[in-house]
Amino acid sequence: MKSLQDIQKIVAKFNVKPGPEMRSKVLDEALEIQRNQNQQSISDTKLNIWRIIMKSPITKLATAAVVVIACLIGLSFWRTTGSGIALADVLARIEKANAFGSSRQWSESEKITGEDPNKPPYVDDARTYLISQEYGLKFKEQPKEQPDPNGGESTFLEEYWLLQKKTKISISHKKKEYTREEFEDDWLERQLEWPWANDPRVLVKEILGCKYESMGRATIDGIEVEGFQTTDPNWVGNAPNIRQVDVKMWVDVKTWLPVRYEEAYVYFEEKRQRFEHTHSVMHDFRWDVVVDAAEFEPPVIPDDYTGTVVKWPSINEENAIQGLKLWVELLGNYPKSIMDMIVLRDFTALRSAFEKSETPAAMRLKEELKGLSQSDKTNRLRVAMLPMQCLNKFRIKLGGDKKDPAYYWKIVTPKDTDKVLMRWKVSDNEYRVIYGDLHAETVTPDKLAELEKALPK
Amino acid sequence: MLEDKLLLWKFKRGSSEALERIYDKYEAYLITVATALLNNTHAAEDVLHDFFISFVKSADKVKLHGNLKAYLATCVANLARNRIKRMQREPIALDDNDSIESAVLEPDLLAIQEEETAILNQAISQLPYEQREVIVLHLQADMRFTQIAKLRSTSVNTIRSRYRYGLEKLRSLLNSEVLK
Repeated sequence: MKSLQDIQKIVAKFNVKPGPEMRSKVLDEALEIQRNQNQQSISDTKLNIWRIIMKSPITKLATAAVVVIACLIGLSFWRTTGSGIALADVLARIEKANAFGSSRQWSESEKITGEDPNKPPYVDDARTYLISQEYGLKFKEQPKEQPDPNGGESTFLEEYWLLQKKTKISISHKKKEYTREEFEDDWLERQLEWPWANDPRVLVKEILGCKYESMGRATIDGIEVEGFQTTDPNWVGNAPNIRQVDVKMWVDVKTWLPVRYEEAYVYFEEKRQRFEHTHSVMHDFRWDVVVDAAEFEPPVIPDDYTGTVVKWPSINEENAIQGLKLWVELLGNYPKSIMDMIVLRDFTALRSAFEKSETPAAMRLKEELKGLSQSDKTNRLRVAMLPMQCLNKFRIKLGGDKKDPAYYWKIVTPKDTDKVLMRWKVSDNEYRVIYGDLHAETVTPDKLAELEKALPK
Repeated sequence: MLEDKLLLWKFKRGSSEALERIYDKYEAYLITVATALLNNTHAAEDVLHDFFISFVKSADKVKLHGNLKAYLATCVANLARNRIKRMQREPIALDDNDSIESAVLEPDLLAIQEEETAILNQAISQLPYEQREVIVLHLQADMRFTQIAKLRSTSVNTIRSRYRYGLEKLRSLLNSEVLK
């Protein structure tokens, strides 16, 4: 006999899974309506303002006067802010420097409802950068609050981006491990152009690409500075899950070079359903540093460190297609979402997904790995799965280059020969399309619109 | 929840990302509530479709006094009720067992669970709608009796009685099945 409590438990556990096409059927239509509403709301606002203006001759005259004054003010601000500094000129000044150094400090914390707001951050690191336009980038990461007990320098991570050797070397002193990645193409050079390299040129460009405003003047460490601020959600290309952006750049009014850069945002961590608050400050900028070529030679790695060498193929369309093919062969499907790609971007996560897979190709590969030593097994798997990681790098490249990429991995299968699996912009008049069966072609924007319209709802 | 408040704030300002997130977060939950009320997955999907379309269309009018989860469940329950009134008949028994799934379990446990779910679904469909609604909103949507009473403009005691009678009937129906 079931008690009333049992019945309550059974009903509470009742769980229905939505049909596979439910999401696209409902959400696509809702999103379409939302888009139309947003457009309508913009045009309504414009129309209402226009109606108010046109209603009376006095407002017409007053509006004309305001327009003339605004134009005059606008012209005087065309190149500079009120105090004489334009952010575009700051960028031009930075670009004149051959090499620059800086320090950056991070603190990250999770905010959980009901938890002590004064809980110390769980990440509290400091990095010292040296960036050379000719040689590349290197940094050392040190714990801010855990100095070496012997009074020495306690570095737990070093990274070298050696442009001329197309090689990236990361050394974890904490784990006594290193990774050496060799690239065939300009991947490393391109990475310097993206925000995560912390190159001040890119940081200024990101603010310039957003809606920003002057914060007026202040004094930092005895230097008179002018501040620029953006809270634009489009910062770093409207990155997924980043909210409450607040970015500030303070510039020396005499040299027009950055003195301090502050970045704060909230990241929603989907897996754990938590908000992560990140705050970082970049300071101690050093401009036109004299760099010795020896500083960008591969570092000597201690004998007792273990390492991995990865030789990346070119990060291009061809290898991305290989990656997609492997996703299906080894894991049974295309990535379901960008988050799927992000979670599986590193080898360890990819390996764990492979271990659970039972596709014929996965079973064959598992068979091949039998009898190999642990390190041989790892190396063999790493090589086999490299194209899958290439696909993720290609996705990052399209996003970093603002190529308007779109992915339909959720609704397109390998059998869909005429359906768009992914696409990106090649030029104003051309898009590149990869279809479900992995053949690719270049199409016009009109043709793409037709193809996307035909996608399952 | 802070995230829900932030999502709703962004949604009301036309954020497609927020709409997508709300959908993904509550789709399974709302389809469960709708299916339990209507006992028909196709009808439940229609209700969910109608709800999201009207949710978007009236985004600027949405006012949240409690939590988003309960708000969404209330809206879906209202639509389900209207649908039933419109049909002027009790909903048909579930015709799509395949689309009902429980949490991921080992294969043998899953088979047992599926059978239990189907039996439960049949039992729920035999309850009068008013009792079924209170049971689903209270147990599935975590709504308090006072909230349900307010929603249905009736007294808390009536809601409690409907819940108690409904649960008793469910117990007698389930105990007569092979569910021991």
